[in-house]
Amino acid sequence: MNRSIRALYLTLAAGFAVLVLMLGYWQVIAAGELDERADNPYTLEKQRLVDRGRIISADKVILAESVVYREKGQKYYRRYYPQGALAAQVVGYATAREGSTGLEQQYNRYLAGSYGTGAILDRLRDETKDGADIRLTLDTRVQKTAEALISGRKGAVVAIEPKTGKVLAVASSPGFDLNQVASDFASIRKESGAPLLNRATGGLYPPGSTFKVVTATAALGSGKWSPSSTFDDKGVYVVDGKPIYNSGKAKYGLHNLTDALTFSINTTFAQIGDRLGGRTMGREMTRFGFARPVEIDLPAGEVAVSGRYRDGKLLPNEQRDSDSARIAIGQENLQVTPLQMAMVAGAIANGGRMMRPYLVRRVITRDGVVVKQQRPQEVGSVSSAYIASEVGRMMGSVVSEGTGAEAGLAGLSVAGKTGTAETGDPERNQAWFIGYAPADNPKVAVAVVIEDTSGTGGTEAAPVAGEVMRTALSIGPVQGEPSA
Amino acid sequence: MSLRTRELGFLVPALLLGMLGLAAGASARADELQAGPWQTALGVAMVFVVMHAVLRMRAPLSDPYLVPIMAALTGIGLAMLYRIDPGLAGDQAIWVTLGGIVFCAVIVFMPDHRVLERYRYIIGLTAVLLLVFTMAFGTEVNGSRLWIEIGGGQRVQLGELAKVLMVIFLAGYLREKREVLAIPTQRRLGMNLPAPRHLAPILVFWGAALAAVVVLNDFGTALLFFGVFLAMLYLATGRALYVGLGITLFAAGSLFIWAAVPRIGARVDSWLHPFTDPQGGGYQMVQSLYALADGGVVGPGFGRALLVTEGGTPRIPALETDFIFSAVSNDLGYVGAIGVMLLYVLLMARGFAIATAARDGFSKLLAGGLTAVVGLQAFIIIGGVVRLVPLTGVTLPFMSYGGSSVVVNFGIAALLLVISNRSRQGLVEAVRGVPAT
Repeated sequence: MNRSIRALYLTLAAGFAVLVLMLGYWQVIAAGELDERADNPYTLEKQRLVDRGRIISADKVILAESVVYREKGQKYYRRYYPQGALAAQVVGYATAREGSTGLEQQYNRYLAGSYGTGAILDRLRDETKDGADIRLTLDTRVQKTAEALISGRKGAVVAIEPKTGKVLAVASSPGFDLNQVASDFASIRKESGAPLLNRATGGLYPPGSTFKVVTATAALGSGKWSPSSTFDDKGVYVVDGKPIYNSGKAKYGLHNLTDALTFSINTTFAQIGDRLGGRTMGREMTRFGFARPVEIDLPAGEVAVSGRYRDGKLLPNEQRDSDSARIAIGQENLQVTPLQMAMVAGAIANGGRMMRPYLVRRVITRDGVVVKQQRPQEVGSVSSAYIASEVGRMMGSVVSEGTGAEAGLAGLSVAGKTGTAETGDPERNQAWFIGYAPADNPKVAVAVVIEDTSGTGGTEAAPVAGEVMRTALSIGPVQGEPSA
Repeated sequence: MSLRTRELGFLVPALLLGMLGLAAGASARADELQAGPWQTALGVAMVFVVMHAVLRMRAPLSDPYLVPIMAALTGIGLAMLYRIDPGLAGDQAIWVTLGGIVFCAVIVFMPDHRVLERYRYIIGLTAVLLLVFTMAFGTEVNGSRLWIEIGGGQRVQLGELAKVLMVIFLAGYLREKREVLAIPTQRRLGMNLPAPRHLAPILVFWGAALAAVVVLNDFGTALLFFGVFLAMLYLATGRALYVGLGITLFAAGSLFIWAAVPRIGARVDSWLHPFTDPQGGGYQMVQSLYALADGGVVGPGFGRALLVTEGGTPRIPALETDFIFSAVSNDLGYVGAIGVMLLYVLLMARGFAIATAARDGFSKLLAGGLTAVVGLQAFIIIGGVVRLVPLTGVTLPFMSYGGSSVVVNFGIAALLLVISNRSRQGLVEAVRGVPAT
């Protein structure tokens, strides 16, 4: 019987060996992943003990900081947002109960001090590092202007620096007070207009005629047309037996491609799209980054993918049998984010080279050690520099003499494109403007969308864009220490 | 060095470990250095010293390592209970004292365990009656019907006692039947099987175990009973076929119950996918996994993990019983948890060594069965905590809070030591040429 006894012992001991391995999986291998889960009470509890880093704008305004308080002799920290609602969706919040969003979530590792190779050693020693500060590319002066211009309405503004991809402003209206999240989150949630949603990065809108910038780039890139190629508009273009009209059923007669963009002539762009076909249009969309998540430093869940959607599902860009005529004028289930369209304008402004947008310039410790630095990074080329400049020139004419006149800035040349996506209800248009300035040496590119308006892109969105660009061009560097 | 002196040599550091654990837990609680509940610590230490003294007098040749291992596990368990809630540690100290009394009683009043073999059928019947009684009159706690109210707010788990009685019965029964069970007389389905009437007990046990799953709503107890039965069947016959057959039958039955009984199905689902409903069915498991993750490699130390909220509520329901191992893993980390598991492996090593050294079939089966009960029970509950098997409501021997469990496990240890003492005594007498009594 002794052999059986030994075999039983070995079996049970082997069972315990499996337990040791399983336990190791949870305590060592999966531990990091479990620690980062939003509902982990340990992580949340420990958060209160961490002097979380500050979030500081490019013009040295403190957007988030930690305030110390004492409870039963123990030092705790709570989050305070000196600017309240400014850039609320981008800054985000970090609370025990409501989880975290925005930069507070994306840069949590740095803000909470659990970064770097020392993190595991710190864990072993049961030490906590102070959180590092994050310095943004976002400038509160541009941000404030953008928010003021769209406040009271639903909409979004994105402003970027085309040459670098630095994000200067991300405004989404309605907004909310970040300090209210900890005290009264319920009433924020109850407010109408979804203030928690970052419309600039996560809101999907039909692009309307702003998409003609993409079509124009494809047209010139195909070599079949130039800005001066002529077209004859009869007021209607028929595809698949269904007519496409111009806005207001206008008829333009003989005109060239520049005129077509300037006055947003649907029939001409539909014709171009039709002749380019679904594959060519799709390839251009791919170059402009459609149907692919934008690599911005925000939580993936807060950044929507622009592209064609059917039944809530993203379709591939390149489909031979897609209705390229309607895609060309921004219809056919196209859904885009303001961020994506700002990148479209930015790519044209930057000689066809699209830059990765980023919000955080650097992560820096209290002692001034730079932990992480982000540099401009090209994500792809949408066209040759020559074609980009041709498209840019046509966009200049949109503002100087066409639908985008309201975006014009005295003494400066602006390039842009308007868009008005109709929903069927004349009171509920989605008004668009995308563009950049100065046209000859672009420093800022913007995308503006205003929801539920009776106006058009030209009357509603263009003036906002103009004002935001003016602010962005007027700001100078800021000296001194960060302050609230 | 005599066996008992060696025992004392191991017992002292084992007791110190528990005392230091208690002091560390108390210091973490008060945030300053404290001695902790030294009266409790000393009291429990005294219990072990008395147990040692009784062994010195009445079973001097018994295994010297078992009591120190018990002391280490009990000490760590007490320290964990104290850091969860000091009141629990106070209660547990009383159970440990009771366990010590039972331990000493067994050593003193049963110098020869072989008397048990004579009463095997009465003992087996008692085990069945205890289980039936629990099924009929049991109180449901945490969804499992395992407890009997005995007044004064106290309740006992008769199943714990039934477990030991069953092992004694099986040791006697299988000793008697091992030959017929070991010899195949027919060939069916490509397997060499003994006569159907000898196979019947396996089927009866299989049916009873599955009935227990449904009626007691406790997969752990059923798994434990059936597992120990298979282990002892294997010990008696040396035939792995029985084990394979038994596991297949049990797995098939479990699958059927999982599909047929929604209540149990839900429990299995929350085992397989705890994160689909982290606030509902998966809550306990998810919180426990967070505790394991928080413990990491070395853990923050006794009493330093955030296992209990500021209000004093444990974050994991049933932390002091089913999930005591999560508390160990959180406070002491992977390293500490491995240490505790090694103590169980060591405990099994000693138990099976006692079985190997025993000189008659009944003693071997009894020692092997008792060891398998403790080892398997530790495996099942730790396996539940690490999500290897569905989570069940069995206790972690010597560590979980609970009087029935503590007292019964001390009794098991005493039985093992009686067997150990007996076999060595026989050996000594044989060498001296004196007939064994």
